Amino acid sequence: MEFAPISVYLVISLLLSLILVGVSFLFASSSNLAYPEKLSAYECGFDPFDDARSRFDIRFYLVSILFIIFGATVSNQVILEVTFLFPWAVSLKKIGLFGFWSMMVFLLILTIGFIYEWKKGALDWE
Amino acid sequence: MFDNDFLALLPETFLVSATILLLIYGVVYSTSKQHAAQPNVRNIAWLGLCCIFITLILLVTQPITTANLCYNNFILDNFTFSFKVGLLISTICTILMCLQYFQQEAGTPFESIILILMSTCSMMFLISAYDLIAMYLAIELQSLCFYVIAASKRNSEFSTEAGLKYFLLGAFSSGILLFGCSMIYGFTGVTNLEELAKIFTIQAFGPSSNVSLEPNFLQTTQLFFESHSSGVFLGILFIAVGFLFKITAVPFHMWAPDVYEGSPTYVTAFFSIVPKIALIAIMLRVFIYSFYDPTWQQLFVFCSIASMILGAFAALSQKKVKRLLAYSSIGHVGYLLIGFSCGTIEGIQSLLIALFIYVLMTINVFAIVLALRENRLKYISDFGALAKTNPVLALTMSITMFSYAGIPPLAGFCSKFYLFFAALGCGAYLVAFVGILTSVISCFYYIRFVKIMYFDTPKTWILYKPMDREKSILLGFTLFCITFFFLYPSPLFLVTHKMALSLCL
Repeated sequence: MEFAPISVYLVISLLLSLILVGVSFLFASSSNLAYPEKLSAYECGFDPFDDARSRFDIRFYLVSILFIIFGATVSNQVILEVTFLFPWAVSLKKIGLFGFWSMMVFLLILTIGFIYEWKKGALDWE
Repeated sequence: MFDNDFLALLPETFLVSATILLLIYGVVYSTSKQHAAQPNVRNIAWLGLCCIFITLILLVTQPITTANLCYNNFILDNFTFSFKVGLLISTICTILMCLQYFQQEAGTPFESIILILMSTCSMMFLISAYDLIAMYLAIELQSLCFYVIAASKRNSEFSTEAGLKYFLLGAFSSGILLFGCSMIYGFTGVTNLEELAKIFTIQAFGPSSNVSLEPNFLQTTQLFFESHSSGVFLGILFIAVGFLFKITAVPFHMWAPDVYEGSPTYVTAFFSIVPKIALIAIMLRVFIYSFYDPTWQQLFVFCSIASMILGAFAALSQKKVKRLLAYSSIGHVGYLLIGFSCGTIEGIQSLLIALFIYVLMTINVFAIVLALRENRLKYISDFGALAKTNPVLALTMSITMFSYAGIPPLAGFCSKFYLFFAALGCGAYLVAFVGILTSVISCFYYIRFVKIMYFDTPKTWILYKPMDREKSILLGFTLFCITFFFLYPSPLFLVTHKMALSLCL
């Protein structure tokens, strides 16, 4: 039931941001839109040297895969490792030592994966 | 509570920890500056071999032979024991035959060995899985390792394509399997295979059976099945389709030839030997033990007939060796499914015999293919005049091919004979008829190898380097087994009979 205020809050913030964007349209003068230099891409004053489609660095993929594995919260999507840690942290009192050591084994395996990444140089950004 | 569980899962635990240690060893050693970052695939492969061997010893000497573990998620009995032994031995054979490959292609990443070990672990878990969720998780761990090693040769387009194709279709089939599991769970409320077996027994035999339960419970179960049977049926159907995808039975085989051809040869050898064992084990557990029910039988009969026919006819027009072997393995899956679709103890026993002999023959044939890969053995015509350049190898190859085709005194004949015998014994005359017909047709392309090796004079003579000791020992041993199987088949018969009994009773 506590999600109702959140959804109301979402709608209100959407409206507010639309208003903030819309107000500038109301009051700004559109007389110099025809000026072509204003519509060109900004490359420190020069014309662009080459095509915008360049090779993509594999390291971005590596970082994002690591992010998916070791996890954090992305909007409403909670990803792998931290997902397992949340219920464990909340119920640690009930599950006792056995639960504690089970999670330690999980973290150990994950840490070994991390050591592998580190040694392999996936975390180096030059 | 878990003391005995740890003891009973000792082989698996050992293999997992050994794999992890190997991973750390490999990554530290291969990136360290003192050792000049030398590629150490072969080293890791030997160590991995030792790990699997120790696991095998642990498994054989294990004190606990019959148990239900981890809240009924895993089971140990005679059936799982024999299957695990078979799985580990065939993994050892596969790694042994790949050693020379790693020497020649030093660029192979050492992680592929780690992944092979990891997937072996997951297949051991898969064999002893006793719950739909445990089964699915083991299958996924195994397939994730497979996707990676299928695409492990990064500079080859074919390998990349194979990995991608395998990934997409594997994920699709896992999705189907998972949907089937969730349907079963949704309509029965249990995922444990033993509980499912109880429910399905009552459904199949009704109140008149000897199952001693209160009549009240029986009545409610009957009522339950009258109202829910369509959902349960759908669940079984989807699980069956998922599994048939995984073992490349015919309407769901599309990925197999491309994946087998595209991935590196040692990966193909691994794919066509090892996962079949684990998947057949869990399929027997799920379908024969749990869902003992006529609904899936027609599907398996259809797939069996279709696989045999396609395996025979599609292989006729193949020119590439690995593709032909892929179609031949599809055909053999069809033969295995004959034993499946009988559902009798004789059927299961003949299936297990056929599986054993199939693995034996496949190890042999892939050892030959790996031995001849020095000059990029790709087309069948590259075997030309092998009888003159390497007569012993040509003889080995021809005996194996005769065995594949089912020529009388060899092991392949025995396996097919018992399969057809079981099919006739349970009244599946059509399946036996199609099986005999397709096995006659498939003789054509198996014997064509012999014709090419002995009677063709090729335009370019290809000379192959001699093979290493490991492969020659493997070849000699498997050839001995294939040739002289008929003299003393009773051990295998006893073992398989015991396995079939422990599954069914």
